Amino acid sequence: MRAEELKGHLDAMLLAALEDGPQHGYAVIEALRQSTGGRLDLPTGTIYPALRRLEQAGLITGSWSVVGGRRRREYRLTAAGSRALSGRRADWRDFSAMVTAALEGRPCPSPA
Amino acid sequence: MSEPRLISGYLAILAAQLPAPIVEELADGLIETHRFYVRQGLSPDLAAKSAVAEFGKPEAIVAGFIRVNPARRAARRLLGLGPLVGACWAVALLTGGRGVWSVPLAARILVLMALAAVVGLLAAAALGSRYRRAARSGTAGFLGVIALDAVLITGVVFAGAPLTWVLAGAMAASAARISLAVRALRPAPAG
Repeated sequence: MRAEELKGHLDAMLLAALEDGPQHGYAVIEALRQSTGGRLDLPTGTIYPALRRLEQAGLITGSWSVVGGRRRREYRLTAAGSRALSGRRADWRDFSAMVTAALEGRPCPSPA
Repeated sequence: MSEPRLISGYLAILAAQLPAPIVEELADGLIETHRFYVRQGLSPDLAAKSAVAEFGKPEAIVAGFIRVNPARRAARRLLGLGPLVGACWAVALLTGGRGVWSVPLAARILVLMALAAVVGLLAAAALGSRYRRAARSGTAGFLGVIALDAVLITGVVFAGAPLTWVLAGAMAASAARISLAVRALRPAPAG
């Protein structure tokens, strides 16, 4: 999947990657890679500003630790982040059901 | 394990443009990526090439951080508020009694010049394409906003202007702007 197609969905994917517990930047990237079956075609360095944006929005919070002599920043989902993720998931289900229905010529299921 | 020159060169490019805590975080990710490729069986140099390619162009990363620079966002917010606060003061001065206008002309000109300088600093922070310069301009601009609004509020109090609803509103708008500027001066969460 190309970076352009990801626009608007990356934030939700990052929140989902942090749902199971705190992760540092590289682990978030790994989690995304695994959950997308390696189809995520995005310069991984650009994930870090996105994490910073989510932190500024109060959806995740970051803290420093030292691992192997290197400072490492770990992120965890906030309560607001969990709520935002639930909302994004519901929106995505509605959106994908609508587009699938339109593309495949099927009636669109009514929203949950 | 020492990292290949390609990795350190890449990080040096980032370090020239971004604050140290951000570069530390990026370094951690890049070094982990490099180690991943080494574990896959690539030579250190080839692993470094793959890691750097995967990370993307430094300009794209820097541009991403510039977009989320807290100073830039705060400066935009303060610039957006400017006309509203200015309008409140304009109405207060136009409808105020003689007390408001008893402030010496030289002081009023000085305030206007300071205002122009603060707007310039905030604009440089809001539109700047360099992270550190935008942060520095922002800090100076935020301090300027605090000083200007404090001068306006205390100036009106010392001028003995009659307190009208309009003047109280203008003073409240300035106080709110001071509070925003103080919050913008706090270090960014990642610092």
